Amino acid sequence: MANTQTALKEAMTSIEGCLGAALVDYTSGMALGTVGGGNDLDLTVAAAGNTDVVRAKVRTMEQLGLQDAIEDILITLGSQYHLIRLLKSRGSQGLFLYLALDKNRANLAMARHQLRRIEAGLEV
Amino acid sequence: MRLTLRQRTERKWLPAAEPEVLEELRRLRARVPHVTGALAATSDGLVLAHDTAALEPEGVAALTAAALGVAQSLAEAAGRGAFRELLVRGEDGYVASYAAGSMAVLTVLAGDRANVGRLHLEARRSGTRLADLVADALGRAEQP
Repeated sequence: MANTQTALKEAMTSIEGCLGAALVDYTSGMALGTVGGGNDLDLTVAAAGNTDVVRAKVRTMEQLGLQDAIEDILITLGSQYHLIRLLKSRGSQGLFLYLALDKNRANLAMARHQLRRIEAGLEV
Repeated sequence: MRLTLRQRTERKWLPAAEPEVLEELRRLRARVPHVTGALAATSDGLVLAHDTAALEPEGVAALTAAALGVAQSLAEAAGRGAFRELLVRGEDGYVASYAAGSMAVLTVLAGDRANVGRLHLEARRSGTRLADLVADALGRAEQP
């Protein structure tokens, strides 16, 4: 089992084209850990902003009466992919993993596969 | 930069800056969902401007000044430098205070569904802007 920082570092190194990663608590909008990012990508801003994205989707599903859960959310930009994966295991409810990927270098299918694997090994 | 919160009882607040301060508080409320009130006060507890519907601003400003004193001592005793911010979480929501320069403080009330990450980002920016407004107003007052 990997702790937060190890898991994020693994995401950063094993996922091709990864620009930054964060583990975010969407009950508060604060990041439990971040790697990468920098001046072009402020991960605390991303954590707060994507919390609103996740909350909006959760609320929409409630209003639609969908008895289901979000596995992941993909946002495609001109030059990047942003991938949000909600954590499912007991003890990590209310958290999501956030990845920013360089669109030219990333393999989306591989990134989702790796992220699933990292989630399985993550211990918060 | 090291900031110290000074007691400024001898200097009266200038009403000239109040509309701008109020405007900044309204902007903060509009930008962060679940924020139910915002208040700017001097570090010794005088209300500069407030945008709170339900609460008594004078009481909150006075309590903010008291909490500020304790928070400042605690930060100093723990070797964490000058006061920056204070977050209190109650069962039904949050009360947060942010330094706005050395003479003023911004206190924000938010519901329990508030996005604290966003609140921090926006309120820190507002604190910086309020510090500038207060400094400008004091600068103008010192001109003969």
